[in-house]
Amino acid sequence: MRTTMFTRTLFVAAVAAVALVPGAPAADPFADTVKTANRKLVKVFGAGGFQRLNNYGTGILVSKDGHILTVASQLLDTSELVVHTYDGVRLKAQVLATEPELDVALIKIRLDGKKIDEPNGLDLDHFDFFEAAKRPPAEAGDWVLALSNTFEIALRDEPLSVQRGVVSAYAKMAGRRGVFEFPYTGDVYVVDAITNNPGAAGGALLNRKGELLGIIGREIKNTQSDTWMNYAIPITAKTDIRTRVTVKDKDGKDVEEEKVVTLTMPEFVKAAMEGKYKKFERPKPIAGAGGFHGIIFVPNVLERTPAYIEDVIPGSPAEKAGLRPDDLVSFVDGEPVISIKAFNEFIGKNTRAGTAIQLEVRRGESLQTVKLTLAAQPGKAPVVPKANPGPEKK
Amino acid sequence: MTRFVLPFAACAALGAVALAPAAPAPVDPVVMDAQKQRVAAIKKVHPAVVAVCMPDGSGCGSGVLIDPEGYALTNFHVVQPTGPFPTAGLADGVLYKAVVCGIDKVGDVALIKLVPKEKGKPFPFVKLGDSDKVKAGDWSLAMGNPFSLAMDFTPTVTYGLVSGVNRYQPPEGKGLLEYTDCIQIETSINPGNSGGPLFNMDGELIGINGRGSFEKRGRVNSGVGYAISINQIKNFMGHLYAGIDTDHATLGASVGTASEDAPLAQMVVKQILEESDAFRRGLKEGDQLVSFAGRAITSTNQYKNILGIYPKEWRLPLVVRRNNERAEALVRLMPNQTKEVEKPGQPVPKGPPVPKGPPVPKGGPAETAGMYEARKGYSNWYFNALERDKLLKKVKDNFGDFTAVPGKWALEGTFQMADRNGPMKAEVTEAGGNAKVTMKLNIETALEPLKQTDLVQRQEPIGSGGLMMALYHYHRFLTVGPKGFEGLFAHAGNEPFYPPPADGSAPKSLAALRVDCAVLATKHGSVSCKWYFALPDGTPLGFETYLAPDADDTADRDPCEVYFYDYKAVDGRKLPHKMVVHYRDKRYAALTVTKYTTEK
Repeated sequence: MRTTMFTRTLFVAAVAAVALVPGAPAADPFADTVKTANRKLVKVFGAGGFQRLNNYGTGILVSKDGHILTVASQLLDTSELVVHTYDGVRLKAQVLATEPELDVALIKIRLDGKKIDEPNGLDLDHFDFFEAAKRPPAEAGDWVLALSNTFEIALRDEPLSVQRGVVSAYAKMAGRRGVFEFPYTGDVYVVDAITNNPGAAGGALLNRKGELLGIIGREIKNTQSDTWMNYAIPITAKTDIRTRVTVKDKDGKDVEEEKVVTLTMPEFVKAAMEGKYKKFERPKPIAGAGGFHGIIFVPNVLERTPAYIEDVIPGSPAEKAGLRPDDLVSFVDGEPVISIKAFNEFIGKNTRAGTAIQLEVRRGESLQTVKLTLAAQPGKAPVVPKANPGPEKK
Repeated sequence: MTRFVLPFAACAALGAVALAPAAPAPVDPVVMDAQKQRVAAIKKVHPAVVAVCMPDGSGCGSGVLIDPEGYALTNFHVVQPTGPFPTAGLADGVLYKAVVCGIDKVGDVALIKLVPKEKGKPFPFVKLGDSDKVKAGDWSLAMGNPFSLAMDFTPTVTYGLVSGVNRYQPPEGKGLLEYTDCIQIETSINPGNSGGPLFNMDGELIGINGRGSFEKRGRVNSGVGYAISINQIKNFMGHLYAGIDTDHATLGASVGTASEDAPLAQMVVKQILEESDAFRRGLKEGDQLVSFAGRAITSTNQYKNILGIYPKEWRLPLVVRRNNERAEALVRLMPNQTKEVEKPGQPVPKGPPVPKGPPVPKGGPAETAGMYEARKGYSNWYFNALERDKLLKKVKDNFGDFTAVPGKWALEGTFQMADRNGPMKAEVTEAGGNAKVTMKLNIETALEPLKQTDLVQRQEPIGSGGLMMALYHYHRFLTVGPKGFEGLFAHAGNEPFYPPPADGSAPKSLAALRVDCAVLATKHGSVSCKWYFALPDGTPLGFETYLAPDADDTADRDPCEVYFYDYKAVDGRKLPHKMVVHYRDKRYAALTVTKYTTEK
């Protein structure tokens, strides 16, 4: 009894305080906020269940018809996607669109006998995504709540888990999953609670009033510190996407050109909900682009394989310039070469047939400067490297 | 907290700089009040938090005192390595000798008793809360000794949200350490917090911290910890105080979802054991479980949660749906752990059997000397005898001492059955080995309880399940006491008891009949009884007599149930002047006693 009374007084006081102090204090209980928010979230079940890939996750309802925002993980790679709503109802769902560079996907509940795009009669509690996206982002120091199905603790009508934390930073993040770089490189909410556990991805980051701030991301490691990140992708997230467009050149001929477009999460959600989201044409893989050098590197097995030369193609610019097996390419045009991938990217981005480049290569204990003029990419004819030469005769 | 109000405080300070550089930054009173409340709660419970120490100094667990005599709750997995004599440090830096009282291996709970430095000196203790009122989003405080940080046993306090309630976490190995209906917290708990208390913001004990989801982050807090709810522990509290090695329960049926693909989960009986009480109460394969113990069954986890918080042998109402009809019955729960079957005819082993578990140091430390006695089925028989004798004394003080009237007892009065009624007469004589019971309801019956071995005769009068045998045991229980029950005379913890309305009217609900009782279990010859005494005054409300609990025909395993009403004094001792007799699912008879004759 005493508890109830106390809570009530406190709540009234808190409400009064909200009006006076922006970003009100911490004493009001979250139970009601949590209960309301839980009704707007679903448990998602899909592909996985092996090799530490979870077959469970979380999703955020953004329409009464059952549009659900979640992360673009392997979970969605199935035709048998299932969601459990807060009241324990099991429903089928279908992927409408994914955008890896925002690491986000929009899925929708599909009722038997209804087409995915026709009204389905559902009337689900949901977040007003577009209203939420109009609000300014939360700032470092703001309190947040995280709701998710972390560790798959909840099934059916069991409520999701709630955690509370403080926004530690609103900043860009460089992360990776395993050896792969994380595709989203925009701003994230970094939080001080341990929010990003198995199954938590796709959960909701809320402010203390229960308003949507972000989508809890997948488990990734910080590239710099090698620690697990606790973060959420803001609903106002923005990313620059490199895409290919066809334009007319000065002779009126169609040519492909690379262009950078900015995509925001609200744009993605709106287009995906209207069934109009089209994936951007990505630039062609870098291999093969740029000028031809004729270097064959050692097998590229690591995330950062050092650019050791394994062999050079006979007659290629590399051979002509005197590059040899076991040379380590260290600089190209003054830029450090940290890996084979970095070298290939540089060549693809900055060169074409006829470009002259300067390499610094480490040979034995000395650094050599080598200049070569790149040629046109050879045709499809197979290129056979000559047999590995023996040690040089002195 | 400070961090949170910083922006506001900083702005205010900036504004004030020009006028009064030393002006204190204003803090919202709500923040200050919340902080005051938190500090007060911590201060209140701080002295009662226990550090449970490993014998070789290899680390600490935690615990919490729950009464002034020094009883403290902790995890079973904390006292497992300490053996029966752990040591326990309190926040004042004093180290106490302790002894393990009751254990709950499945629920991962243990009750230990600290020995005061001065006899009778009370310990600080905390109040038990109501964990059913805890909600996701509530604040909580965890206290204990993580990483054995505090060499002087000063507890570490962590603060955070309740992340979820009614959580199920499956057993860790061999069916033990199953967390049912537990409280999920983000409040940091780490190795060493095990067994420590979880408090609400009023400083009431709402759980015992014991487990976390760790996975990739190593054995440290990953934002997901679990506390055993205090309401589950309350169900076992009688058992724990009575030094019992308790067990959880099963319905005796395997239950699953009717169809994985169904939009809503329906829990149905897939298989049922014929020896289960649920089977005898009419539960069939294909029945849909609607609710158990008053809680709706909506998922597999929920079913395990609801069932998992009760000790074996508890009787609880089960509601099922079959062919669109609802049926409700009281069901006795079966033990969870496989029982070693006692073969009939096997000689009763003499003396206490050798206990399993860690070796017991001879006698233990001086402070706890005489406070430990090993016995099969009990974690510490010393505490069972203690609790049993306390209960017997209470009953004797309130209802009288019957050892002075061990002779023939005669009961006269009337009986009412469904189809007839009339005068009733019954007589019980102990007379050494020639015990005899006679009874006249409709027809006259007689029984020599120690000589007749035929089950059908023992169950007379027909339809009563053995009312004459029951009266013989009642007489023996009152007039001879512990000495009269060579097989067993033990405290059996607490259980709910459901006395039906004395007048035979239909009860409002089965749950409404529930009276929580302390139970004594007895065995004399081959007959076992369970005696129910209302908490807290010890009124004997009735008893159950099991003539053949292991009968091959499982239908014969049901007890004769006798319920007592209308206590009146007879020669200065109080006896029930109305008894209602139930057998299987029926009321056999109601007996109204107008005259007791109790001979010396």
